[in-house]
Parts: sequence; C-alpha cells; structure tokens
Amino acid sequence: MYIANYFIAQTSTVRSVRLRFDLLASVRIDNDPIGRCFLPLIRHIDVSFDPSMARRYDASTTTFSPEGRLHQVEYAIEAINNAGTCVGILAKDGIVMASERRITSGLLAPAKTSEKTYFLAKHAACNVAGLTADANILIDQARLRAGRYQYQYQEPIPMEQLVEYVCNYKQYFTQRGGLRPFGVAFLFAGYDEHYGFQLYQSDPSGNYSGWKATVIGANNQAGKTILKSDYQKQPEGEEKMADDDDESGSIPDVQGALRLAVKVLNKTMDGSGTTAAEKMELFTMALDDNGQVVTKILTKTETQAVISAVESESASSGES
Amino acid sequence: MSIMSYNGSAIIAMAGKDCVGIAADRRLGIQLKTVSTDFTKTFQMQPKLFVGLAGLATDVQTLHNLLEFRMSLFKLREERDMPPEVVNNLLSTLLYEKRFGPYFVEPIVAGLDEDNKPFLSCMDLIGSSVKANDFVVSGTCTGNMFGMCEALYRPDLNPDELFEALAQSLLSSVDRDAMSGWGGVVHIITKDGVMTKELKGRMD
Repeated sequence: MYIANYFIAQTSTVRSVRLRFDLLASVRIDNDPIGRCFLPLIRHIDVSFDPSMARRYDASTTTFSPEGRLHQVEYAIEAINNAGTCVGILAKDGIVMASERRITSGLLAPAKTSEKTYFLAKHAACNVAGLTADANILIDQARLRAGRYQYQYQEPIPMEQLVEYVCNYKQYFTQRGGLRPFGVAFLFAGYDEHYGFQLYQSDPSGNYSGWKATVIGANNQAGKTILKSDYQKQPEGEEKMADDDDESGSIPDVQGALRLAVKVLNKTMDGSGTTAAEKMELFTMALDDNGQVVTKILTKTETQAVISAVESESASSGES
Repeated sequence: MSIMSYNGSAIIAMAGKDCVGIAADRRLGIQLKTVSTDFTKTFQMQPKLFVGLAGLATDVQTLHNLLEFRMSLFKLREERDMPPEVVNNLLSTLLYEKRFGPYFVEPIVAGLDEDNKPFLSCMDLIGSSVKANDFVVSGTCTGNMFGMCEALYRPDLNPDELFEALAQSLLSSVDRDAMSGWGGVVHIITKDGVMTKELKGRMD
C-alpha cells in the first residue's frame, strides 16, 4: 500500500485512527497489534479535532491553502507578535533603533554586551524580534555574506544587497519541503555611499521593504500609530510654507528620533517609570566628521537621560 | 629564480620595553625592474597589532584581504579584538590549508597583547610559526637582517631607541640586497598608540 502525504483525524478516543489518503480513500487503523504496525508509517499527524479549513493545509509550508495563503508563514509571523518590541526610525543624519529588553527572570545572568542589537558589518546592524535561536543563524549568514562581499569587491556591501540575501535565505524555507520558516523579523539599519542611511524591515516570508520609521514585535500597531502622527510633525505654531517642498525639514535628527523612539516604546511596553532604562536598549548610527560610520549603544545613564527628556516633554505639553 | 624573491621584500619586527616595532622596505619589483616605491607590506589589523607580509606581492595582498575578512568576522561574533597569539594561530592555519599549493608569503605578527606585553612571531609559507621575544625577520635578505639585528638589538629598548635599532638594521640590510629597499617605513606600537615614520634610504 503506497502511503503518500496524508492526514489523520482523531476520533473520539485514541482507540482507533482514521487515515485519509487525499480524499481518495479512507482506512481505519485500530489500536490492536496488527493495526499498530501501521503507526510508524504515519508522518503527518494532526491530533487535534479542528474542523476549520486551515488545518488541512497548514502542516506544510509547501502547500498553498485554497485562499492562496501559506499558513506556516503566517503562523511564524504570529510568533513574532509576542516578542519584544523594536522601533526603527530614519533620522535626518542617521538611524535610531530602540528595543524592549524582555527580562524574564531576575536570575538570568546579565548580558555582556547587547541583547537585541547585532552588528553585521562595520556599516550595518540589525535588531531582532522573535525566536533568538533562529535569529542567530540568520545573523551569522548575514555576517558571512557581508564579509565575502567585502573580500571580493574590497567595498562594503550595499544595504539592500545584504537585506535581500538574508531574505532570499528565509524564502527558501517557505518553499522547500520539510523545513519550517524562521520565526524572526529584523530591522536592518545601515549606511552605504549609494543611498545613504537606510532602514529595512523583513519578516519570515522573506519579504522586505524600506521604511522611514517602523515597529516590529508586540503592540507594533500601537507603535505605528504614534509614528504616523509624530514622525513628520510640523513644528508647533508654524504653518507649512508655500515654497516648503523640502520635507526633510520636519524629519527629526538623531536626538529627536531617540526621543520619539522612547515615546513609542513607552506606549508599547507594559509599565514605565524608573525601571524603564533597564528594559530599553537604544542604538544610534551616524557619520563622524571623517564620513565614517559610527555606531553606539547607549549606556544606562544616557538611556535614562533620553527617557527623562521624553517625560518632561510630555509633561510640559500637557499630555496625560 | 625563486618565487619568493620575484617581487622582493624585507621586514623586521623587534620588541622593546612595553612596545613593539615593525619595519619594512617599500620596493615592489618584477624581478630586476622596480615598479613601485610605495608598496605596503605592513598592515595595521587592529589598534595594537600589525601584520607584515613578505613574499609574492599578489599573495601579500590576497592574504591581507583574507586576514581582514577572518578578523572582522571574529570581531563581530566574539565582540572582542583578536589577541596577537590568536592571529598567529589563524595565519598558521590559513597557510597550512594550502599546504600543497601555498601562498608564497612568510608573515610576521607584531603586537601588544591584552596586558600590553610585546608579542612577536614569524612563520614560513606553510604556517610553521615560531615566537620570539627579541626580533623576527622575513624577506629576501634575511641573512643580512639577522646579522644586523643580532648586532644592534638590546633588550628593553624604549620606543625611540627601538626606532633607531629597527631603522638602522633595516637600512643596512637592504643596502646589500638588490631586491629590497627603495625606502622604508617603521611603525612603533605602544599602549598609547602607533608612531609611524618614513625612512630616507638609498633609492637603488
């Protein structure tokens, strides 16, 4: 008997299982010695009694659902919505990334350097939301790719090339069988001489896009709402000039972007106040006077200074 | 004609008191013809670490790029600088990987370790390395360089004395070698930084 790709649905007890061979035939295997011989041959087992259509098409990434969806990829994206929030903002003169450090236990050894920000090259860094173990694989791939490009061309890898490579790697796991997608979303921040500072977001599907400001992870919708209104804010009291077609005038600089990022994190994180400095990791990237990329992960004191600035700003503008 | 003397080179590294120095000539030749007088054979891989590569020029450049790749990967993954001894071991492994089709380079590693103690090592083209606490030499006139260093070296030289010893050793050695010379450069590494000086020598 040729057993191909099939599913079993559990009946009321575990005494017998019903096998469906792709809607062509149905065979019942009982929990007796003979019947149990067939059990090792079972490869896809869905033992939950769920009548929804998705269930039949979600066990494998290589299968589209009738609605044209890849459920495994969507479930992977769901996994990220439970992870620590990351905000990325493109400033006039640099990039800011802020992330929530989820401290799950006081017994955890303190991180030696950074927990959420990873460097991929001298001119590129990323923030992670999702399964850290999955992220480590992709980060290493990105580092190797950036290194090989630099070795081959003696030039730093352009940001989009790097992002596209990581995303192509992720896409492989949404199309080849037997493997699950990576449960990670990235915020890539980098500089190249072709397009200046760039911010990219990528998700488990292997899609990526460039952003001026974006949020990933828990409560990203709430974060995006704040960014939509506050990112390109007109300065208070001024009207938009008739000849003001330079929209970069209202884009924040790195310091302003830091404050905006903290404001977003305050909204998306549970709780705030004095403990917030430990729970946030702030990262900035800018150019120094020689045109070299300089990156910085803010110390606790510096982070607290930004948080205090945001608090006094909101207090003075009368926001609750 | 040996492949190791096709382009010509001379590199010396010496240890002083809490400092190291590395000096190299500047000639790039194609056998007897001199093609360049500003060819770089010493590379600052880290704030307190230099690597000198003597031998075939194409392999000098390739190995430098390869080392740059491997060291930056190390830095990204381990979030620390590579100690000189580890660089020595990495170079040794890289060279031995090409045991039966080697890079025609004989590198020198010179730097200060985490305690700012001098570190010197040199190796042959297939990665056999040896550490020294006085001086190491590599290139087309090693016989000359060994003799000069043995004569001029004293232990515990301060940075200025070290510069003198290195510069004089190098200049006198390359003057008796047709394949090296045409200028020189000396780098002195201390815990406070690197001092680089160009040498004025016989341009022949």
